[in-house]
Amino acid sequence: MTTATPALSPRRYFGWSTDHKVIGVQYLVTSFFFFLVGGAMAGMIRTQLLAPDSTLVSAEAFNRLSTNHGSVMLFLWILPVLAGLGNYLVPLQIGARDMAFPRLNALSFWLLVPAGLLMLASFFVGAAEAGWTAYVPLSISGPDGQTLWALSVILLGTSSMMGSINFVTTIFTMRAEGLTFWRLPLFSWSMLATSILVLTATPVLTAGLALIAMDRLVGTLFFSVPAGGDPILWQNLFWFYSHPAVYIMVLPAMGAISEIFPVFARKPVFGYRMIAVSSLAISLLGLTVWAHHMFTSGMDPRLRVPYMISTMIIAVPTGVKIFSWLATIWGGKIRLDTPMLFALGFISMFLIGGITGVFLAAIPVDLHVHDTYFVVAHLHFVLFGGSVSGAYAALYYWYPKITGRRFDERLGKVHFAANFIGTNLAYLPMFLAGLLGMPRRVVNYDPRFTELNQLASLGAFLLAVSVLPLLYNMIVSWVNGPKAGDNPWRARTLEWQGSSPPPVHNFDQPPVVTEGPYDYGEAEARSMMPSPAAAGD
Amino acid sequence: MKERTLLVVVLVTALLVVAGIWVAQNVNLMPAEASTRAALVDQLFRAMLGLAAVIFLLVEGLLLFSVLRFRQPRGDDGDALPVHGNRALEIVWTLIPALIVIVIGFYSFRVLAASEIREENPLVVNVRSRQFAWTFEYPGTSVISSDLHLPVGRQVRFLITSDDVIHSFWVPEFRVKRDATPGQMAELLVTPTREGTYPVRCAELCGVGHAAMGLSSRVIVESDEAFQAWLTQAAALPADPIEAGRTLFKRYGCPACHALADAGAAGVVGPALDSLADPNGPHAHAHGGMDIRALVEQSVLDPSAAIAPGFADGLMPKDFGTRIPANELAILVDYLVAQK
Ligand code: HEC
Ligand SMILES: [Cu+2]
Ligand SMILES: [Cu+2]
Repeated sequence: MTTATPALSPRRYFGWSTDHKVIGVQYLVTSFFFFLVGGAMAGMIRTQLLAPDSTLVSAEAFNRLSTNHGSVMLFLWILPVLAGLGNYLVPLQIGARDMAFPRLNALSFWLLVPAGLLMLASFFVGAAEAGWTAYVPLSISGPDGQTLWALSVILLGTSSMMGSINFVTTIFTMRAEGLTFWRLPLFSWSMLATSILVLTATPVLTAGLALIAMDRLVGTLFFSVPAGGDPILWQNLFWFYSHPAVYIMVLPAMGAISEIFPVFARKPVFGYRMIAVSSLAISLLGLTVWAHHMFTSGMDPRLRVPYMISTMIIAVPTGVKIFSWLATIWGGKIRLDTPMLFALGFISMFLIGGITGVFLAAIPVDLHVHDTYFVVAHLHFVLFGGSVSGAYAALYYWYPKITGRRFDERLGKVHFAANFIGTNLAYLPMFLAGLLGMPRRVVNYDPRFTELNQLASLGAFLLAVSVLPLLYNMIVSWVNGPKAGDNPWRARTLEWQGSSPPPVHNFDQPPVVTEGPYDYGEAEARSMMPSPAAAGD
Repeated sequence: MKERTLLVVVLVTALLVVAGIWVAQNVNLMPAEASTRAALVDQLFRAMLGLAAVIFLLVEGLLLFSVLRFRQPRGDDGDALPVHGNRALEIVWTLIPALIVIVIGFYSFRVLAASEIREENPLVVNVRSRQFAWTFEYPGTSVISSDLHLPVGRQVRFLITSDDVIHSFWVPEFRVKRDATPGQMAELLVTPTREGTYPVRCAELCGVGHAAMGLSSRVIVESDEAFQAWLTQAAALPADPIEAGRTLFKRYGCPACHALADAGAAGVVGPALDSLADPNGPHAHAHGGMDIRALVEQSVLDPSAAIAPGFADGLMPKDFGTRIPANELAILVDYLVAQK
């Protein structure tokens, strides 16, 4: 125990603060709000699709809903929730007092708020309706909301780049004494890999969006076909960011569950270095595959095969991670607490997303399933079964750290069960619908797909309901939950060695690290302790 | 003990392989196979499905087994035996997946190459897309249709274009799609192998009519005789000269630019063509003593010879002379002159 925790006034979460822990929570709560908004849009979409010729939602409204459902979920939920976890945890995991640039950190969060409001406000002037991919020339001619959408995503990209500069600098320069890179916790490793990827890819997207915004606002002709503009250019710019974005959204989740397996199996991480290095490998390879989204759009035929190969190769470092996780729990002493359940759920569902990704990489198969519900299913298994499961696992795992309270384990398990069944029910039928001939982004469909769509809608409704136990649990336990103690999971990474919740300055004395983060089964955790000077207190 | 482990590994591997082969042979998730390409793609897809089944069962099996087998006993607070890694194992699970994807990559490449082989004497069809409809043109004939008729067994060379935004021409039963991008002409080769009626979808979001566009057109694969019969019938002109003229006016795309009440046309790029023959009408400028039939014929064959006031030269296509046969031109001109 280091110091008595100073009383935390809830008020500090509502204003400008440069404390990474406050900013972390601000990110988590704000992104969760947008998750609910994006989920409501999904609910309307799935209700419309209960019947093949339903007229509940007009075609125009449908396009606006699906465009903004995708954009909100990716840019305002998954990216910021992971940024929030990174904010809260990275300084604690590496023994730093805060991020390297605390004010920049606050600014990146406060850009998120107007950006999110801008995107939602676009519904008042005719929201974007060209898909989250905003393919030109369709996106050039849409309603005014399309411009707001582009500006909003530019702001979000900027916020994300600022955050990444902060993570890279923090991890490189502020690690505690003795915390070498080979002792860095895997979540921090994943934030490092992610941030490098953000810094490489995001500027390309924001530049492309600036071109779209200029075409719409000041009459430039970058994407005007009669004036010689090239629609394929936008696809290259967009996917140069948006494929790596998948890894940006999944690597931190992988990092989080890499922390969870050793704790709940009471075993060291199997192949720690391979997991760390595979994150970097995925980042680098991830930059070379973007045109696999363009096999049907008329790229040079000779270029297709290299993109297919590089895409398939990414399966290798991903496989390394999965097998390493399995080997970590193999022979362990497994406890099935909620964080562990979600981490196991991550593997079992992300696996489906990963395998179907190889199908999509195989050009002849892709020419059939591209832009169909097969892709919708694939991306939801990666991003919902994967990233969101990982984010849930992380929320439950670090909840006692952030709040000092225990959540209700039974409600956690109910949430897990509903989420697991709902995800599979919602997305498995979509694979079949796509293979059989259902295009994506359609407001009406061929009646032959009715049953598959009804199953999917049922799953989606279950997912909607599954959020209730989570919300209730998170709020009520923060107020009423039993005190958790400093280290309820008996974890050995540095963030768990101080008090929970942490004091304002994280560590009263700079900690000294003498061992790796996952030495379960070795001598009692003498590693990672704050230095003796602080312990006496 | 070691031998028992080996036995279990061999047994599980054998079971997985059997399961994979069974899946590859018995699970069909695809619609009807209606082109040579579909047969190739399905072979690849089934092989991949078999492999996927093996990996899926292996990983989920290991996961379930671990969760059931390696639980912390109640009251036990200790840690498990520390194992930090195993070089040999790590090499194996890096190399085997690498090998698998290389094989899949190579196989995919072979299928891709085989499905894009050019055959002799393909049937050329122009696929034109616009918000929110497909039109199929058969060059060398005057046929323009919203349904796609194809003879079975002959390679088709689709030339795909768009008049506005990006669409994507997709026939699921052919297992292939190709984007129609404005400003480009895309080529796609398909050899239909199975008679039947299949949907034509639009796979790229193209606006409010995107779903409707994917439900509006069909492809009809039929015997060569049936196809030829359809082609003649679709190209034939009604016996009545006025009806015939109206058909030609639409077939050659004049309504895109000209308004004409009788044909329900409302184009605005060129002048309205009602009452051409009226010497005091809007077309009086052109008459100048010339015979009205000769004048209209000249306007169609050589649009630059005289420019209607208020309109620009160079917009009206100059190749109607080569596209419209003489007998049809006569019918068309008579029809236009007859409009009051
Ligand atoms: C791409 C647009 C376009 C298409 C398609 C087109 N035209 Fe025209 N047409 C024009 C324009 C513009 C003018 C006026 C300029 C000129 O006289 O060349 C014109 C002029 C004419 C005139 C002369 C009218 C006058 O007052 O002098 C006639 C007759 C005519 N078109 C007939 C046709 C017929 C018949 C077809 C179909 C076979 C056709 N056009 C297709 C654009 C088009
Ligand atoms: Cu991608
Ligand atoms: Cu379309």
